[in-house]
Amino acid sequence: MSELRQIAAVCLLGISGLRDRYATALVVVVGMACVVGVLTSMLSVTAGLARAYLRPEDATRAVVWRGGARFDQARGLQPDAIATILDAPGIARGTDGTPLADAEFLMWLPPVVGFADGSLQLRGVGPAGFALRPDLRMVAGRPLGAGKRELLVGVGAARKFGLGVGSEVRLRDGAWPIVGVFSCGGDTMESYLVGDALTVMAARRRAGFAQVIAQLVDDRAYPEFQRWLTENPALSVYVERKTDYDQRAFGIKTAFFTRMAYLIGAIMALGAMFGVVKIMYGSLRARAREIGTLRAIGFGATPVVVSVLAEAALLAVIGALLGAATAWLIFDGRDLWVWGAFRLRVSPSLWALGLVWALVTSILGGLFPALRAGRLPPVEALRVE
Amino acid sequence: MKFLPLVWASLWRNRAESALTLLALSVAFALFGTMLTLNAAYQRSIDDARMDRLIVACAFDCGVIPLGYREPLARIAGVTAVGAELWLGGWQQDERHPIVVTLVDEGLRSAWPELPMSAADWRALDVAPAGIFLSRSAAARRNVRIGDTLTVNTLPGSRADGSSAWPFTVLGFIPDPPGWGPSTGGPASDMIVGNLRYSQNAGRPDERDDATSLRVAVDRPEHARAVCREIEARFTNATPALYCVPAREDAQELADANINMRQISLGIGAAGLFMILFLCANGIAESVRERLPEFGVLKAVGYRDGRIAVLVLLEAAVPTLLAALVGTALALGVSVLVARLALKGVINMPEMQASPAAFGWALAAALVIALLSAVTPLYRLWRSDVAAVIAGRR
Repeated sequence: MSELRQIAAVCLLGISGLRDRYATALVVVVGMACVVGVLTSMLSVTAGLARAYLRPEDATRAVVWRGGARFDQARGLQPDAIATILDAPGIARGTDGTPLADAEFLMWLPPVVGFADGSLQLRGVGPAGFALRPDLRMVAGRPLGAGKRELLVGVGAARKFGLGVGSEVRLRDGAWPIVGVFSCGGDTMESYLVGDALTVMAARRRAGFAQVIAQLVDDRAYPEFQRWLTENPALSVYVERKTDYDQRAFGIKTAFFTRMAYLIGAIMALGAMFGVVKIMYGSLRARAREIGTLRAIGFGATPVVVSVLAEAALLAVIGALLGAATAWLIFDGRDLWVWGAFRLRVSPSLWALGLVWALVTSILGGLFPALRAGRLPPVEALRVE
Repeated sequence: MKFLPLVWASLWRNRAESALTLLALSVAFALFGTMLTLNAAYQRSIDDARMDRLIVACAFDCGVIPLGYREPLARIAGVTAVGAELWLGGWQQDERHPIVVTLVDEGLRSAWPELPMSAADWRALDVAPAGIFLSRSAAARRNVRIGDTLTVNTLPGSRADGSSAWPFTVLGFIPDPPGWGPSTGGPASDMIVGNLRYSQNAGRPDERDDATSLRVAVDRPEHARAVCREIEARFTNATPALYCVPAREDAQELADANINMRQISLGIGAAGLFMILFLCANGIAESVRERLPEFGVLKAVGYRDGRIAVLVLLEAAVPTLLAALVGTALALGVSVLVARLALKGVINMPEMQASPAAFGWALAAALVIALLSAVTPLYRLWRSDVAAVIAGRR
C-alpha cells in the first residue's frame, strides 16, 4: 500500500473514532471557537474602520494643509492661499471646467443632549466637496440650498444622535435646521453634519479652512502637484497623498486596539495549545491499541503522525468556523461609534485569518503527541490498557 | 485536611496531563487577570476625576477663551474658584517630538487642587515665570534635570518678538497626575506645568489674554450640572460662547471615546475562562471515570456521598485555584506589555496597577469553574452502584 493511501486510511480511521471521543473533541472545538471568536470579533472593529477610512477613490487624491497642521480641526488656510492652491497643476476638472478640489474644515459642536455624549462634528464643504464624493446619496429630505443656514446629517450621526430631517442643531448664531440625511458608502463622512463651508464659516465668526482635498488627473500628477505647492514662495503648506493621510488617521485610531487583538489572540491560542497537547495525548492513549495494531500489520510511522495532526487540525477547523460564524452572526454589520460611525465587519479575510490561527495552534499543539504516536513501539502500544 | 493527600495523589496520577491542564488554566487566568486590571484602570481614571470640578471651553469651535471670563464666572452662585490654563503646543528637536506645556494661572491652585503641586512648587513658579515642572514620566521621557533648559518650538510668530522658540527652565518634578501614569505614556501623563504669565509677557499682543480652557470648582458635586447649565446660559450670546462639562463626565467620555478595552475587557476575560471550563470539566470527568473503583471502595468503607463530593470538588478546585494564583501573577507581566503597546501606539490609556479586586475575582472564578466542572462527574458518581463499580462492571 502506498504511503499516501496509508495516510488516508489511518486518518479516516482516527476521524471515525471521534464519535467515541466526542467529549475530548468538544474541548478542542470549543477552545478554538473561543480563540477565533474573540480574535475575529476584535479585529472586526479594525476591518470596519478600514472600510470607513481607506477609500479606493483616494488613490488619486491629495490633501493640502497649512504648514505645521496635520488634522481636520486646524483652521490655518486662508482664502487667498486656497485660490493659489486651486491653480496648482494636475488638479482634475469637473464638467463645468472648475477644479475638482474643495476647501473644507471641521468644527466640534456641543452635545445635542446631556454633557458629553459623543462628539458631534460639522464639516464645512463647498460645491466641489459633493462632486468629490460620488457615493453620497440623499436617503431623506433634500440637498443643501446654496448659501442657506441649513445642514445635512450623515446616516451614522443621525443614528448616534437621534437626528433627522426637521431636527435643529444649535450653532454659534442660533438653531440650524437639518434638511436632509445622506449616506456615503460607509465613508467617515457619514459621521458628520455637513453644511455649506462659507455659510457655516460666517456663522462661526472664525475664518480659515483646515485642508484642501484635490482630485488629481491621475496618480502620476502628484509629484508635480506637490513640488509646485511646496516650492511656491507665496504658500506655506504641507502636501500629502490622501491615502497617506487615511493611513495616518486610521493607524492612530486602530494601532493599539489591533495590537491588543493580536496579543489577546496569542494568549488565548497559547492556552488552547496546552489544551490541545493534553487532549491529543489523551486521544493517543485511547487509540494506542488501534495504532499498535496498524503498526504491527505494516503501517508506517508517518501515516500515524499525520493522522494525529489531521485530527487536531480537523477539530481546530470546526472550532474556527464555529467561532468565526458566531462573531459574524453577532457583530457583522453592527453599528458602532468610535470617533465616528462605522459598521463592524467580519470580512472573508478575517475568516481566513481565524482558520490559519486555529490551524497553526492545533498543529503546534498536536506535534508532540503526533511524534510520540509515531515513535510508539507496536508491542508497547498493544499492551496499553 | 485529611482529604488533601488523596486529592494531591489523584492530581499527579498523570503528571504530564496535569501539568498541561495547569498551564492552560494559568494562561486563561492570566488573560482574565489582565482584562480585570485593564478594566479597573479605566474605571480608576474616571473615579479620579471629580464631579465638583468643571471644565469650561469654547463652544462651537475649538478656539480660545478670553481671560476676562474668569471674573463673571467667579460670580456665579455655587462657584468657589476659577482658574485658567493655556496649552502651549509645539515640538522639541523636530516634529517627531511633540510637547505641550500647560501654562496655568494662580487661580488654578484653588480651582484644580488635584494638580499635584506643593505650595513650594507654586511659589517657585511665581518667582520664575519661565520655569516649568514636569511630571515624573514626562521628565523620564525627556531625560531632563533640574536647571536644564527645555525649548518648545512653535509655528513662526508666536512670540511678541516674532520668534517661535519658547525656552523654559526646569524647576522640578511633580508626581504623575492620578489615573494616567508613568507606565503608559501618552499626553495625559506627559504633564508639564508652566506659568501663564510667561505667555502674557512674551506672547503676541493679540494672544496674551487667551486661555485654552477654564477650570471651575463648585461648592458641591450635586450642583455641578446646574452650574454648568448656568455658565452655558450666561455665555450663550457671548463671543466665544462657552461649553461646560463636569470633569468626571469628561473623563467618562474620554474613556469611552477611543476604541478602549473597558467595555469589552470583561467579555474577553469570560471567553478565556469559558475556553478552559471544558478542558477542566473533561479532566475531572476523565479522572473520576478512571477511578470509579476507587470511589466504589471509599463508598464501601463508609464514605458518604457528601464526603466524596467534597473530594471531587477539591480535586477540581486545587488546580483552578493554583492556576488563578499563577495566572494573576502572570497578569501583572502581561499588563506591562499592554502598557507598552499603548506607548508605541498613540492611544492614551490609564496606568495599570495590581488590583486586589482582580485577585479576588480570579479566585471566585476559579471556584465557579471547579464547581461547574465537577457537576457531571458527581452526578455520575451519585448514580453509580457500589457493587457494580467494585466488580468492574461499570
